[in-house]
Amino acid sequence: MPRVPILMPQLGESIAEATIVRLPFAAGDEVAGDIEVLEVETQKATMGVTAPCRGRIAEWTVELGKSYPVGSTLGWLEVTAEDAARLGLDEPTSAPMMPAPEEQPGESRSSTETQTVTPLVRGLPVPAQASAAGYLSPRMKARMDELGFRVTDLAGIAGSGAAGRVTIEDLEAYLRRLAEHKQTPASSMRVAVADAMRRSWSRPLATVGRMVRLDVMLAHRKQSNPKPGPALYALRALAVALGENSAPGGRLIGRKIVHPKSIDVGFAVETEDGVLVPVLRDADKTPLATMVARYHELVELGRQRRLPANAQGGSLATVTNFGTFGLEWATPIPLPEQTLVLGLGAGKIVPEWDGKSFQPATEAQITLSFDHRVLDGGAAGRLLARIAELFQTPEKL
Amino acid sequence: MITYLEAIREAQHKALADDPRVYLYGQDIGNFGGAFKATKGLAKDFPGRVLDAPLSEDAIIGSAIGAAIDGMRPIVEMQFADFSTCGLNQIINHAATLYWRTNIPCPIVVRLPSGGTAGAGPFHSQSMEALYAHYPGLIVMTPATVEDAYSMLLEAVAIDDPVIFCEHKYLYYHLKAPALPTEALPTGKARVARQGRDMTIVAYSAMVHEALACADELASEGWQIEVIDLRSVKPLDTDTVLASVARTGRLLVVGEAFPWGGVTAEVIARVAQEGFSLLDAPPVRINAKDTPVPYHPNLWGTHRPTARTIAAEARKLLHL
Amino acid sequence: MSSPAAAPTSRTDHIQARYIEAYRWMLLARITEEKIATLYRGGKIVGGVFIGKGQEALSAATGMALRPGDVFAPLIRDQAGRFAFGESLLDVFRTYLGSRLGPMRGRDGNVHRGRPREGYLAMVSHLGAMVPAVAGVLLARRLRGESGTIGATCLGDGATSTGAFHEGLNLAAVEKLPLILVVANNQYAYSTPTSRQFVCADLVDRAAGYGVEGRSVDATDLAACLATLQEAADRARAGHGPQLIIASLLRLAGHGEHDDAGYVDPVLKKAARDCLTVAEQHIIGEQWATAADLKTWRMEVTRKIEDAIATTLREPPPDPGDEQWTAVSTPRLRDGFFEA
Repeated sequence: MPRVPILMPQLGESIAEATIVRLPFAAGDEVAGDIEVLEVETQKATMGVTAPCRGRIAEWTVELGKSYPVGSTLGWLEVTAEDAARLGLDEPTSAPMMPAPEEQPGESRSSTETQTVTPLVRGLPVPAQASAAGYLSPRMKARMDELGFRVTDLAGIAGSGAAGRVTIEDLEAYLRRLAEHKQTPASSMRVAVADAMRRSWSRPLATVGRMVRLDVMLAHRKQSNPKPGPALYALRALAVALGENSAPGGRLIGRKIVHPKSIDVGFAVETEDGVLVPVLRDADKTPLATMVARYHELVELGRQRRLPANAQGGSLATVTNFGTFGLEWATPIPLPEQTLVLGLGAGKIVPEWDGKSFQPATEAQITLSFDHRVLDGGAAGRLLARIAELFQTPEKL
Repeated sequence: MITYLEAIREAQHKALADDPRVYLYGQDIGNFGGAFKATKGLAKDFPGRVLDAPLSEDAIIGSAIGAAIDGMRPIVEMQFADFSTCGLNQIINHAATLYWRTNIPCPIVVRLPSGGTAGAGPFHSQSMEALYAHYPGLIVMTPATVEDAYSMLLEAVAIDDPVIFCEHKYLYYHLKAPALPTEALPTGKARVARQGRDMTIVAYSAMVHEALACADELASEGWQIEVIDLRSVKPLDTDTVLASVARTGRLLVVGEAFPWGGVTAEVIARVAQEGFSLLDAPPVRINAKDTPVPYHPNLWGTHRPTARTIAAEARKLLHL
Repeated sequence: MSSPAAAPTSRTDHIQARYIEAYRWMLLARITEEKIATLYRGGKIVGGVFIGKGQEALSAATGMALRPGDVFAPLIRDQAGRFAFGESLLDVFRTYLGSRLGPMRGRDGNVHRGRPREGYLAMVSHLGAMVPAVAGVLLARRLRGESGTIGATCLGDGATSTGAFHEGLNLAAVEKLPLILVVANNQYAYSTPTSRQFVCADLVDRAAGYGVEGRSVDATDLAACLATLQEAADRARAGHGPQLIIASLLRLAGHGEHDDAGYVDPVLKKAARDCLTVAEQHIIGEQWATAADLKTWRMEVTRKIEDAIATTLREPPPDPGDEQWTAVSTPRLRDGFFEA
């Protein structure tokens, strides 16, 4: 015979439990359906609990005077299979209406597990973790501002957040590790150079290079008084070349080419803390001979960190003579507001085949680093070729 | 042990005993003691001051406003928070505007038996706090503890402004405390219900207990979750929430009410506006589903946030 | 002419004095509202202007049936009753003109004004809403063991269709509160005729349904209004519970000054009487005053009104910079989000 439970009903809003106050039937008693088979008391009222069906009380599982929670089984009723079927009590799912387990939330999913990408927005695939991937949180940005950090400063941190995001905890942990090291303040010039290089590096930069013969230039220099340095020859050659065609000196801003107003060219001067770039104005219109004095003056003022305002900024290119460090080849970075930087490598004497025999010749590498958005390799190469050519007629510079 | 419901009854008893201006008005609250027994025995202890009202929510609240204007401190019981919509006009257009318009305060307390219990269905389960908090001039209290149920109700009676007192039906019998409090935080101050450092969960009313259970669960996984109990949703203690987010960088807000707008959205909007730079991850809110509250316990248990669903969202947020 | 406050020497004198007093409130209300309409059309008043033209007799009688200490919640066409209950001319114009010195300080305007602590409740726009509120004041007094005061509130035919009217009247009946409900059946709720508002033969029949006493009165007859309202007040004061008064008239203006009332049935319009004209004819017919007296009174009243307007127009408007911008009276409970 099927056994069906007699349950503690929910006897009112928010009632959690009730006390058994009367058990008028004993185990073995026959009871009719829908009659009260026991009485319970709540904080609100005394109420009868009814049997779901006629049958025989099989057993009570409760004691008088004790409290039981809503939904608990108070006893069992033996009913006929017929009655049970007719009243739907034979279904194993006839469970009390108690809160069931909630829907299975997606917590078992590991955050590192790859998820299927589902198209959601206008047919475009949307990353499953669109809200997470690799962003800098507002707090990260604020903390970085406070510290004077740039994204480049986070390069040393392996992020623990979603998609390798650097979280604020990661940053603070990194700072704690850094605190174990000796730290000294960077000079304001170092910080300024760093900032300029970071900004410049945001562009696609490329470098081309070629050989230039120096013998004619060196001979010309020997005869000159005062003597221009090799960098000044290079500067003047670049200025003349740009005077002939200023297109490579333009800047690309948005969708426009911004052309130079005049051919002003800077040159790199190393100082204790970094590199300064004094500027020679109208370098295409100033003969080399008259440039020398101004050049030396600016080098000296630069080293004293006393460059006049009219010798700072606003130039379209820089010349750097990395050959003075013994370097033959380098890929210098143009200043952020410039498209070009011309580099001059160390000269050396090489054997040159004149068709009959090897002759000593002096040559060096010149490089041109440029913003590839403005200039292509061909244009850069032609500019270098023109400069190399001008080195062969220094008397015209 | 004192239940949350007994605390509410005791607070009303004390208010009636201490202040002759207090009287109770509502349906079935007299000799019957109220649908939830929140006024059990009070009609006997305070004859003529605990009055059965007709089924007229507009008139119940409207008359309380009149009585308050005439110097009384009525405590009105809506049988269910849901039914307060029948008195909505008096609450939002009359009580809430009175002080602003006339400079005469309106010290009424409207008790709203709020929130869901299994089987109560669409019309006996609602959480109305967001609706009332929307209106200028109302104070909206959402006590989560036996102690707050007692002390905040007493404070509600003492406050000169209309107070919507959202008491949670599920907590009535399920929440117990050893004794009534002797001191309390003032309304308008949130409580740090649990200290943590990894994430802030802001909750109120019954959801505080779900949040605390979630925090327990996550503690076993090594996370330290801070739980803030707002206590009153209006005024909203933004400072305490911001201070907590400053400690944790992560914010999860939980409410039992419907999802559109509401308290959870308000908390997040304030943190986003005033504490954007404190956030190390997008703030997250969890609410009931955007349907009426369902009848069947299976559906009901899924409709509202629970410790498990909160924990699931919390884990996602912690791993961002 | 004796002043309205002068003590009567006989019953006839008493009736005469009450009538004259009521007439003077009516006259004050009529001219006040004419001035308000003028100011509105002159762009000095913003928002709505609702006048009680044709309803002054009923309203004055209602205000006069109340004593100091009683409670009054008038509606939009009760300027005469407001004056009779004690409202000052300055309160009227300060509210309409938004003076910061007025009882509403520019926060609310026009007919939405009152001094609740003085028993003069400030109506909300939601019709019927003031019925439970007045009942509540009376309930409070009952609870404190105070007796002897009564309350009155005014409604139109349209408001009898609201739930609040029903709930409030029923509650008052259950508690047997001394509440007078004065329903001015002025034939139109805005533009809706009574045939679209209710189908009972007479609104006064509803009194029986609520178990309260009901009375009908012709609102164009001041003597009848005074007698009916006094009787209702006496019954209420004597503990006979709520009193429902159904007063009939035709509204002699639009719903508001923006409304030309083109929907009013011409037959009704033709048959309509103006309570003020009726009262003037009655006063002259009874030889209580001469036409010249009436003209003098009108001039006196007009001068007082003009003085009040002039005073108010010189007063400062509310300043948003000085405004507290808080709707709660407890400073520490102000939600501070928007302070920044």
